[in-house]
Amino acid sequence: MILNVNGSRHEVEAGTRTLLEVLRDDLGLVGAKEGCGIGMCGACTVLVDGKPISGCLTLAEQVPGKEILTIESLEKNGQLHPVQQAFIDERAFQCAYCTPGFILSAVALLNENPNPSEDDIREYLSGNLCRCGSYQNILKAVVEAGKRLR
Amino acid sequence: MIGESVPMLDSVARVMGTVDYMINLRLPKMLFGKIVRSQAPHAKSLKVDVTNAMRIPGVVAILTGEDLGANAFYGVAIKDQGVVAVDRVRYVGEPIAAIAAESLDAAEQAAVLIDIEYHELPAVFDAQDAIQAGAPNLHEKFPNNIFKHAKLRHGDMDAAFAEADEIFEDTFTSPVAQQASLEPHVSAAQWDGEHLTIWTASQAPFMVRKSLSEIFGIAPEAVRVIVPSLGGGYGGKGHIRIEPLVAAMARKTNGRPVKFVLSRAEEFVTVTKHAASITLKTGVKRDGTFTARQATLYWNGGAYADASPMLVPAGMVRAVGPYRIPAVHVDSYGVYTNLPPAGAYRGAMSSQTTWAYESQMDIIARKMGWDPFEFRMKNLFVSGEHFATGEELHDVHFVECLEVSAKGLGVPSPLTPLPKGEGQGMRVGRGYGVMMKSTVATSKSQARLKLKDDGTVTLYTSTVEMGQGGHTTMAQITAETLGVPLRAIKIIGPDTAITPFDSTTSASRSTSMMGNAVIAACGTMKKKLFELGSPLLETPVDGLRTENGFVVADEISISFGDILKRNDLNTVEESGEYSTSFGIDPETGQGVATPHWHQGAGAAEVEVDTETGRITILKYSAAAFAGRVVNPRMAQLQNDGNVIFGLGPTLMEEIVYDGGQPINPNLADYSIPSIRDIPAELISICIESGEGEMHGIGEMTLPPVAPAIANAIEDAVGVRIKDLPITAEKILRALREKSQR
Ligand code: FES
Ligand code: FES
Repeated sequence: MILNVNGSRHEVEAGTRTLLEVLRDDLGLVGAKEGCGIGMCGACTVLVDGKPISGCLTLAEQVPGKEILTIESLEKNGQLHPVQQAFIDERAFQCAYCTPGFILSAVALLNENPNPSEDDIREYLSGNLCRCGSYQNILKAVVEAGKRLR
Repeated sequence: MIGESVPMLDSVARVMGTVDYMINLRLPKMLFGKIVRSQAPHAKSLKVDVTNAMRIPGVVAILTGEDLGANAFYGVAIKDQGVVAVDRVRYVGEPIAAIAAESLDAAEQAAVLIDIEYHELPAVFDAQDAIQAGAPNLHEKFPNNIFKHAKLRHGDMDAAFAEADEIFEDTFTSPVAQQASLEPHVSAAQWDGEHLTIWTASQAPFMVRKSLSEIFGIAPEAVRVIVPSLGGGYGGKGHIRIEPLVAAMARKTNGRPVKFVLSRAEEFVTVTKHAASITLKTGVKRDGTFTARQATLYWNGGAYADASPMLVPAGMVRAVGPYRIPAVHVDSYGVYTNLPPAGAYRGAMSSQTTWAYESQMDIIARKMGWDPFEFRMKNLFVSGEHFATGEELHDVHFVECLEVSAKGLGVPSPLTPLPKGEGQGMRVGRGYGVMMKSTVATSKSQARLKLKDDGTVTLYTSTVEMGQGGHTTMAQITAETLGVPLRAIKIIGPDTAITPFDSTTSASRSTSMMGNAVIAACGTMKKKLFELGSPLLETPVDGLRTENGFVVADEISISFGDILKRNDLNTVEESGEYSTSFGIDPETGQGVATPHWHQGAGAAEVEVDTETGRITILKYSAAAFAGRVVNPRMAQLQNDGNVIFGLGPTLMEEIVYDGGQPINPNLADYSIPSIRDIPAELISICIESGEGEMHGIGEMTLPPVAPAIANAIEDAVGVRIKDLPITAEKILRALREKSQR
């Protein structure tokens, strides 16, 4: 089957494997990671047609023909995406295991709603867990990125 | 550089998802490992038949107890845990066999074909049940299941209790919980003859090295432990975890590497937070002072002693609290049960003990009619006083921690009464918690610096970067002390083949211990540069200083690189070491428990819905004493993280077992705090002191969270919860009981 990942077409033999497995093991896109395996932590978040989904719950065979974006697509020509830059500026990570998932969810949120309230952000990011407890700075980073993107 | 909030050195990699976590490691010809675990909590006469499993195509080797030598048992002080089970299993989830295969699929297929037979034995899961006469026994050497009894004896208890006007006795409990780093335990191992290389997500590479060298009977130098950045540790990757099993598996694969990645469910049976039951008997006088405290602690160590022989005595010291109490006796028991082995959990042992002593502070104050804040202020230790171990306290700032955290709530004074809440059944309350925690008494850190003739500096350190920013901190200390720009510094390690010794990255010790080792290495490096530079600058050594990568005399200067070149040197290497060796008497607990005390406090304002029991944390303000802060924004982030992490065990975290079988070993049924759980207002402050001793801050603001919230709940609705976690159900039940009284 053909998957459209980060703007390129990839032919893969996915079988019954998850999108996360195919991205990591076949395409070497390791920014998304398994944290819980059951859709609870968001460490495996990728964007499918602009919406954040759990790569661990999505079978690769569900997504041919859709536009899949991973964290690896955000940086362009050495330029970080404004959300990535805001995460650095606001110190929005510690171990950073959760960070790619948070950043992709935030990108999707800001695409849908360029000026979210703090409650909107809390609601939208509630499917991403950060065990290091960086939430407070993540909130600030998303607010800041929103400003920069507007 | 010290005191500057530089971003983490590898920030760009962190936001791009390119950090090389263990989970990404791929080695040539690498095999995939899978562990087969016990379904029984306690059984003997274990028989394992691998015949059918070996037939699965792709299976390369299977490890069972039969492969193990006599030394294949490990543990920090008591070597009771087999690399895999031998003859006996003692908890659900205990490894019985392991498979190495060409693919994970093959390993998983084989796993279900391993035939296991055993004879089930009665099991015991609660520490206080386990010490009763006739309880099932786990290890013959410890007939009453108590593997450690730590004692503190200070003062005459009978006399001191006789002086008390009022005696309080309360028991506080904490359940089993799990560290739940998002990155699981991951290790890979490869043998080359009698040399072992292990890549592992560990907080303690040198402990792993020592343990593996003992298990396999090879020199420590024959074991190479490499640790990349961790996706969180929180104590769960401290000490020895899956490394012995992974290394033993790799010994059977003819030199091919094998990698194990634990599933989330396996995480829950790999290491846990000690369940604890803590009884405090405390005597007070009507003038608001203490006379005595007797603390009795039962720690559920699980089926193997693991690190508990070290942690149970630490828990003893951490159980007393930061208050002036003339007579103190503590009995701290480590007990075997048929649960997975317990280990350090962020704020190790202090979470459980602070829950007890800070909850009891409010119970006492309310009963005696004192204000809880004032009662604390009146009794908190100040520098120069003596702790129950007999040691003199230096650089202690408990009063300041409490004051600063209280101020953070934004009320004019902690004594200002709170409006009791608006709306149907909504009640607001305020509460405090203060914590006093020891760090490791005896430990050592070494650092090595390599200066190259291009002016770059490499710091070799075995401090693990697990998200705390340890490497960034060390680079900042190097930059400041050596006088080089931050960008000239590169960090390598941990890799026990090339980075020098460090005891462990835990107990919030790195900034102070490794920090001082780095300072020492910088000192010798500077001395060397001055000696080499003095003739070139025609200035005596004592007229030289360093700045921005240059040795500077009055009017002239020369770069570090040029000093090397002019002396025909490509590189210069210098090392530094810092160690502490304190300790307490095992019979009396007298001595020096810690090089310095960790100090933190918290103040909470909560709203309780009396109809549903639901708790909302309106405001939380935390303060930690940090001595000298290396990176203020990172320190603050870590303090925030402590509070947020601490909300987990306070409000939601508990592994529930049914006959030793965990029934919620996944992140759907075992909740950890999400962004929706954080307080609407969260403040955390690092308190600095002029003296400039660097303290760790990895845990200080965590242990006060639970009691501060419980105290705020009592302030709001008059009920006292003594058993963690504080759930809406428990509050509702307590409210009903109260209204029926
Ligand atoms: S791994 Fe997919 S949501 Fe946790
Ligand atoms: S930064 Fe460690 S889990 Fe989020």
